[in-house]
Amino acid sequence: MTELQRLRDAFRTALDLPADAPVDDLRYQDNEKWDSLAHMSLIAAIEDEFGVMIDTDDVINMSSFAEAVRILGKYGVTIDG
Amino acid sequence: MNLLHPGARVIDAATGETLTEEMIEAAAASLPAGVVFLPFETTVGAIARYLAALRLGRPVVLLDPDADHSALIERFTTTSVHPDLAVLLTTSGSTGNPKLVRLAADAVRANAEQIADVLRIGPDDVAITTLPLFYSYGMSVLNSHLLRGATLVLERTGIMQRDFWTAVTEHEVTSMAFVPYQYEMLRRLRFDPAKYPALRNLTQAGGRLRTDRVTEFAERMAAAGGRLFVMYGQTEAAPRMATLPPERLDEKLGSVGQALPGGSFAIEDDEVVYRGPNVMMGYADTAADLAKGDEQGGVLRTGDLGRLDEEGFLYLTGRTKRMGKVFGVRINLDDVEKNFPVAAVAGDDKLNVFAEGASDDEVRDLRTKIAEWLGTHFSGVSVRSVDALPLLPNGKIDYRALEASL
Repeated sequence: MTELQRLRDAFRTALDLPADAPVDDLRYQDNEKWDSLAHMSLIAAIEDEFGVMIDTDDVINMSSFAEAVRILGKYGVTIDG
Repeated sequence: MNLLHPGARVIDAATGETLTEEMIEAAAASLPAGVVFLPFETTVGAIARYLAALRLGRPVVLLDPDADHSALIERFTTTSVHPDLAVLLTTSGSTGNPKLVRLAADAVRANAEQIADVLRIGPDDVAITTLPLFYSYGMSVLNSHLLRGATLVLERTGIMQRDFWTAVTEHEVTSMAFVPYQYEMLRRLRFDPAKYPALRNLTQAGGRLRTDRVTEFAERMAAAGGRLFVMYGQTEAAPRMATLPPERLDEKLGSVGQALPGGSFAIEDDEVVYRGPNVMMGYADTAADLAKGDEQGGVLRTGDLGRLDEEGFLYLTGRTKRMGKVFGVRINLDDVEKNFPVAAVAGDDKLNVFAEGASDDEVRDLRTKIAEWLGTHFSGVSVRSVDALPLLPNGKIDYRALEASL
C-alpha cells in the first residue's frame, strides 16, 4: 500500500467514512464527522500508522487532508502516492 | 437576581464584542412574559438575554442551540411560575422527553458563591469558554466569574483548534474548566501549561477522571506554578457540590473532595446524600410543575454510591441507578463496563450491551463471556454492535439514547 493510501485509510477509519470515500479535499469541521473527538482519533491513527509523535502545534494545525500531508513531511514521511 | 458584578467583563474573542449594560437592558425589554426559552449560544447576545431573564425574575430554560426543542417548548410554555424559580436545565442530551431541573435564584447564586470562594475567583481572573453554556458546568463557570467581577472570554472553537489557543494567549486566560474526555485530548495535544504564563487553575468535573490522569495534570500544573481542582457536581445541585483542595490531592487521590462551604455530605444506605443551599427545588415534567415550590428541602439524594473518610473527603464507588436485573438478579451496569469493552443499559429483566464496531463473531463471543461472568443464561444478555456510542455534549455516554434505540 502506498503512503497516500495509508493516510487516506487513517482518515476514513478515524472519521468513520466508507472505504471508498474521497478524503483528499476534507477540511476540519466542513465534514460533520470531523469534530474534536474524531480529531483525537485521527491524530492517534496517523501516529500509529506512521510511527511518529506529532507536536501540539501540528495537532492543532492539522485542519485538512492537505495539511496532514504537509505536516507528515516535516516528520520525514513523504506522501506522494 | 443580579449575577453581574459591575467590574465583570464578557468579551467575544472572534469579534471583540463586549457585553454592555445597554445590551442587557435591551434584551430585558424584548423578553416575552412567562418562561424564557434560551438557545444558549456562546455569544454576548445570548448572555445578555440570560442575565436579563435573571434580573426580571423570569425563569429561563437553557437549551442546546443546535437541537430542535419544539416539543419541549410546547410542553413547558406557561406564565404561571413559582416566584423563586430562576433557571431550568435539562438532565440529558437532546433525546426523548427530558425532564427539567428547577433551580431557585438563591441556589444558583449560592453555588456561584461557593465555587468562587473555593477557587478564590477575583477581578484579575480570566476564564475562557471550554464547555457549552447550556451545560450546567459551563453555566457555573459563567456565573462564578460574573459574580466576582472577573472576565469571561467567549470562544466558539475548541481545544483542538488553533483559534482557541490563540485566544488563551491573547487574553491571558487564568482558568480553564474541562471534563474527562477533554483531559484525554489535552494529553494528546501534549498540553504544556508553561506555554501560557497567565494560566493558574484548571478545574475538572463532569465525571470521573482516571487517577493517573489526575496526578499527571496536577504535576503538569504544579510544574508551571498552577493548580488542578478536581470537583464533583450534578445539575440538580446547580451544579457543584465538592472540591478537592490541590494541596491535599496526592494524599487523597481518588477522592472528589470535601463539600463546598455551606454544604455537607452523608452516606445513607451507601448512597451519597448532599445537603446545601444549592440543591434544586425539584424536577419538572410538565408546565404545571413550574408553579410548584421547593420539594427537596435542601436535600439531594445523588444516586451515587460512595464513602466518606474521617475528614469528610468523598470517594465515589458507583451509581445506584446504574443497576439492572437479569432473571431477577441485581447487576451493576458499571461493573459490566469495567470488565468488558461495552456500554450497558438495563432492559426488562435483560442486560443490553452495545459494543463499538464488533463483528458478528465478536458479538456472539461477548454474549457468551458476559453471561458466563454474570453466572446467568446467555438469553439474559443481548449484545448489539454499533458504529459509535452516542455521546452527550459533555462527552459521557448518552444512555437514554441507547435505551431509546432498543
